[in-house]
Amino acid sequence: MRTGRALALGGLLLLLTGCAHNSLVLLPGEDGSQGAVAVLDCDEKGGETVIADPNSRTGIGGGCRKPRSYNTNKAQRALIDALPPRPIRVTLYFREGTTTLTPESLPSLDYLKEQVKPENRPGAEVQVTGYTDTLGSDEDNDRLSQRRAEEVVEMLATQNIDRALMTAVGRGERSLRVKTADGVGEPANRRVEVIVR
Amino acid sequence: MTVRPTVALIATIFAMGAGASLAATSSEIGRVKRSVGVAMIERGKTKVATAPGVQLHPGDVLVTGKDGQISLTFIDDTRFSVGPNSRVSVSSFDYDRTRQTGTFLTEVNRGSLGVVSGQIAKSGKDAMKVRTPTSLLGVRGTRFIVEVGK
Repeated sequence: MRTGRALALGGLLLLLTGCAHNSLVLLPGEDGSQGAVAVLDCDEKGGETVIADPNSRTGIGGGCRKPRSYNTNKAQRALIDALPPRPIRVTLYFREGTTTLTPESLPSLDYLKEQVKPENRPGAEVQVTGYTDTLGSDEDNDRLSQRRAEEVVEMLATQNIDRALMTAVGRGERSLRVKTADGVGEPANRRVEVIVR
Repeated sequence: MTVRPTVALIATIFAMGAGASLAATSSEIGRVKRSVGVAMIERGKTKVATAPGVQLHPGDVLVTGKDGQISLTFIDDTRFSVGPNSRVSVSSFDYDRTRQTGTFLTEVNRGSLGVVSGQIAKSGKDAMKVRTPTSLLGVRGTRFIVEVGK
């Protein structure tokens, strides 16, 4: 009788708490930083549990549970290994009033060309945004920044990457990297920012 | 008189075509990087095959079979890997590329999901959430796995 009751109670508990396999595994960030995930509304009062222990596992089948120290299994490691590479951001600089790269930017261009190759980053999304300094009119700068962005797309398109995977946008003298008054030539603002995801 | 409706019709079709292609570009929220085994995207009633470069839209459901697996990167730099026997819905995704802020809700209905969070999670407290059948998670930083049993 007693065993039967205990079994029934166990079954009821399992039902109440949902599936015992639902879990959250928190890992250290790729750069070793400590992250956190909160389990929200885990009790009737709308309480939350903030999980901040790296290499921990927490039941999320219901209720506010505590994390336990944990080593990942094979399937979990496979999942982590399958995460896409971290997106990269590269800034290229231009000569005043032109779409010609500065000599110092050429190694960065070579690096980008390598990164966008389909064999290195399959399904890459390349976001190219051009900017100018504050010399000249807003309209001219919108055009120049657009041409700078398009010029970079052309250079990257030689690497067997589909143009449809790239976007070129010119933002003129909006979003200056170094704040200046209007009509100031500033090499740090004559740039194209490229994000490869 | 018969010419007019034809021109109007052509104009309408053209406008629809242009509108559709514009919508396709602007609603992109991410791209598939890799896909293994049985894997697909459910978009409303249609099924889209997964392959590198395939674009994701809000509301897409990522589905994998026994040996299936999908890797993808979102436009806010969030990265996902969907494990085998999984069903993961990207229920809502709203992102301002210029301001780098937004909101993101993913539902893990079944299986496993590996995550490295991106700009949206950084843009506000619990701006990125993950729902499972038994819980709601607020993502405050970076790398974790959610598993949902059958």
